[in-house]
Amino acid sequence: MPPKKPTNGRRRTRKKRRRSRKSSSFPWAKIIVSVLVVVVAYVAFLDFQIYRKFEGNRWSLPARVYARPLELYTGLQLSAAQFANELKALGYRFVSRPRRAGEVSRNGNDFQLISRPFDFWDGREESRALRVSFTESHLGQLKDDRSGQSVALARLDPLAIGSIHTARQEDRILLRLDEVPDTLVKALIAVEDRGFYQHSGVSPRSVARALWVNLRSGRVVQGGSTLTQQLVKNFFLSNQRSLWRKINEAIMALLLERRYDKNEILEAYLNEVYLAQDGQRSIHGFGLGSRFLFQRPVGELSTAQVALLVGMVKGPSYYDPRRHPERALKRRDLVLQVMLEQGILDRTQYQKARNEKLGLVTAAAGTSKTFPAFLDLVRRQLRRDYNEADLVGEGLRIFTTLDPQVQWALQKSLDRRIRPLLKQQPDLQGAGVVTHSANGEVLALAGGRQAGFAGYNRALDAQRQVGSLIKPAIYLTALEHAERYNLATPLDDSVLQYEQSGQLWSPDNYDHQFHGKVMLYQALAHSYNVATARLGLNLGVNSVVSTLRRLGIDAPLNPYPSLFLGATNMSPIDVARLYLNFASGGFHVPLRSIREVLDANGKPLQRYDLSVERVIDPAPAFLVNRALQMVVAEGTARALNQRFAAALGLAGKTGTTNDLRDSWFAGYDGEKLGVVWIGRDDNQPMGLTGSTGAMRVWSDLYAEAGVVPQQALKPEAVVWHGVDRDSLGLADNGCQDTVQLPFIESGSLPARAPCATGGGPDWLPGWLR
Amino acid sequence: MMKRLVAPLFMLLGACSSTPTRPLPPVIDGQTGEPAPGVPYEPPEQTVPVPLPPSSSSGGAVVALLDQAETYHRSGDSDNEAATIERALRIDPKNASLWSRLAAVRLEQGRPAQAEQLALKSNALAGEDNALQARNWRLVARARWSVNDGSGARAAEKKARDLGG
Repeated sequence: MPPKKPTNGRRRTRKKRRRSRKSSSFPWAKIIVSVLVVVVAYVAFLDFQIYRKFEGNRWSLPARVYARPLELYTGLQLSAAQFANELKALGYRFVSRPRRAGEVSRNGNDFQLISRPFDFWDGREESRALRVSFTESHLGQLKDDRSGQSVALARLDPLAIGSIHTARQEDRILLRLDEVPDTLVKALIAVEDRGFYQHSGVSPRSVARALWVNLRSGRVVQGGSTLTQQLVKNFFLSNQRSLWRKINEAIMALLLERRYDKNEILEAYLNEVYLAQDGQRSIHGFGLGSRFLFQRPVGELSTAQVALLVGMVKGPSYYDPRRHPERALKRRDLVLQVMLEQGILDRTQYQKARNEKLGLVTAAAGTSKTFPAFLDLVRRQLRRDYNEADLVGEGLRIFTTLDPQVQWALQKSLDRRIRPLLKQQPDLQGAGVVTHSANGEVLALAGGRQAGFAGYNRALDAQRQVGSLIKPAIYLTALEHAERYNLATPLDDSVLQYEQSGQLWSPDNYDHQFHGKVMLYQALAHSYNVATARLGLNLGVNSVVSTLRRLGIDAPLNPYPSLFLGATNMSPIDVARLYLNFASGGFHVPLRSIREVLDANGKPLQRYDLSVERVIDPAPAFLVNRALQMVVAEGTARALNQRFAAALGLAGKTGTTNDLRDSWFAGYDGEKLGVVWIGRDDNQPMGLTGSTGAMRVWSDLYAEAGVVPQQALKPEAVVWHGVDRDSLGLADNGCQDTVQLPFIESGSLPARAPCATGGGPDWLPGWLR
Repeated sequence: MMKRLVAPLFMLLGACSSTPTRPLPPVIDGQTGEPAPGVPYEPPEQTVPVPLPPSSSSGGAVVALLDQAETYHRSGDSDNEAATIERALRIDPKNASLWSRLAAVRLEQGRPAQAEQLALKSNALAGEDNALQARNWRLVARARWSVNDGSGARAAEKKARDLGG
């Protein structure tokens, strides 16, 4: 609260009137007493302000948002290169021999590191020395570097990916004094207030000394205010330069020193001081300043970095090392000089520090600029459950599901595929979502082709025609009628003319050809429109709509036959919701972007629990999964086979809309589901199909992030049979060209194929065999 | 055009086959699924193989977390117990016992509907483990009893008995 403005003018006129009335016996004593009372009351008021500020929450702290922590254990699928990237992002320093927390050495696939301590929901993960070795694709060995013993599980500190604050809000990471390196405290005192430990808040001597020092060096090295005065000014007073403010500052500095000891004042100063500006957010305190400039905790700073931060106190924008690197370097060297003179550094330390570069990270690292689309998703979820004031003021810590490895892979893949096309298609855009199949955690989200570009979040907000992506819902509806349909059921892919309320509907295939009699799975694998439309008409549009509703789609659906070919709009994240049902073996899994929210003291406020709900019976879920694998094995996504080993069992579906306006791919491996969209915001054609656009991004993404084999467990109610591709009948050893397909045991089976000779009669019932 | 198309395919086949002793027969254009018209042919990237996990697996990590979950269980802290099991599930999402364990916690927390669904999830991953399946069906039965679904509970109990549990 700002101090009350004194109303000098009015008081004076009142006094004058009084004087004119009672001029005979002027009450000097009374006036002195009244003035004293006013002064005492005013000082008491200031003292109360100080008390209130210091005893309560001193600062309103924005919520801080973290990525998932990397859990290290033997068997983790992660490459040495990925591990190194994660450590770099966390600001670990690559050295020849790690000695302090946050340092790592690498020798090929072997790492030695000292992890940082971090407070998680289940307590503190202590710093430990680890030795980590990688095989080609996995973490092979995890050992304690001191004892040599195997370590079952270790957790790294999570990447801070942003904070939630209001416009022009102050942001800071609070430090305890014992977390601040000694050199920083000494340098700060040497440069800003040498008499700090002696004076009682105000120091005429330090004003004189500052004058002398400044005169001697010919420029302003020291300011005259004590640290206490600076703290008071920042805490309680306006930036206005007036005598009244100076007086207030001095009184409050004295009061502060009376109430609190030097260490408390110093700690408050270290947390309060303004150091930099990040767009709308102002960076306060050495804790955040250190993260903001160097992406590391203050305890891990080098001497040169300490000197730079201390130097910036004098003029954060004037000495902004990103905008004015030379100016900042000069200032840093001046601080180093003072440190040498004051005996804080010896000559060798000084020389070493002088030779260091500024060593800044980019402004984007560790701020909300890195993953804006994902943070947008997190914010939307938080706004549903928290009020704005708590989010921006209570110092909450939000632990999200973001997997930086997958996020980087997604951004890189989108960029790599779209950038070369921009010359011909400057408006080409893309978006993507990756989720964990089993628990619904959102691992990565890209809202546009440019990484780090905040704005229209296409992954959440672009409502686009889904085209063939909708087809699995139709095939599932059919396969759930096991008495009528199986994966080998012949479907008719010939000219279809359907009349509805006087209008003729005559769908066409993408290749403008008709394929006659095809197996049900083939119609899905090759995405034949006509066969699908006919199947949909037989099932009825209402049953397909109700399947989609059961799978959790609440977007508006037009109950017309055009729905069978995907004439309905969904966002990429809606598509992820739909496909998660297939990727998770028939369970509906709500998407989550937050794991837990902790309050400022580290207590869990809220958990976003894992929950599942079976929405597809095990047998039809297995059949649909197989059909989606066949899309990759022999259908529209077969190009993936040129890159990924067949045994990986990848499953997915391409989607292309009219005139090539949307290019979609939704696909999954044994662990994660990825949905990619490419198109233009103005919905104009852009020349890419699902398999020539989005699928290539998906392919790069999975090659980069790592693939986990998909081996769905066969439910008991399902049996495998060979089917003759020529006659679509049950095959045996006598048939040449067969495909193995799963069937629901109690459901329909194809008739025996003409080529079946009775040898290896896997179509016979068990009791005859 | 033909040559340009065939050469990379040769390279691909060469890379895939383990013993390329004899020159391979020429590949006929069209057999391998040509790219859509108008799209330049791209030579395929290096093949992504099935990743081979190291001989020792993530088991140790899961055991460590189960120990921690047990500690929470004994102190009656079911929230942290569930969160710890979830942590284990992120490491080993196909571990049917972990899903079953989470189902048991949810039942204790008075969330029978979620307990039942988690037990079903566990069964979907249990494979041949009849004992685990039976345990899950008994858990489903208890969940159904708790919401007075007698017939449903009896059906689940029968499934448990049929599995020999």
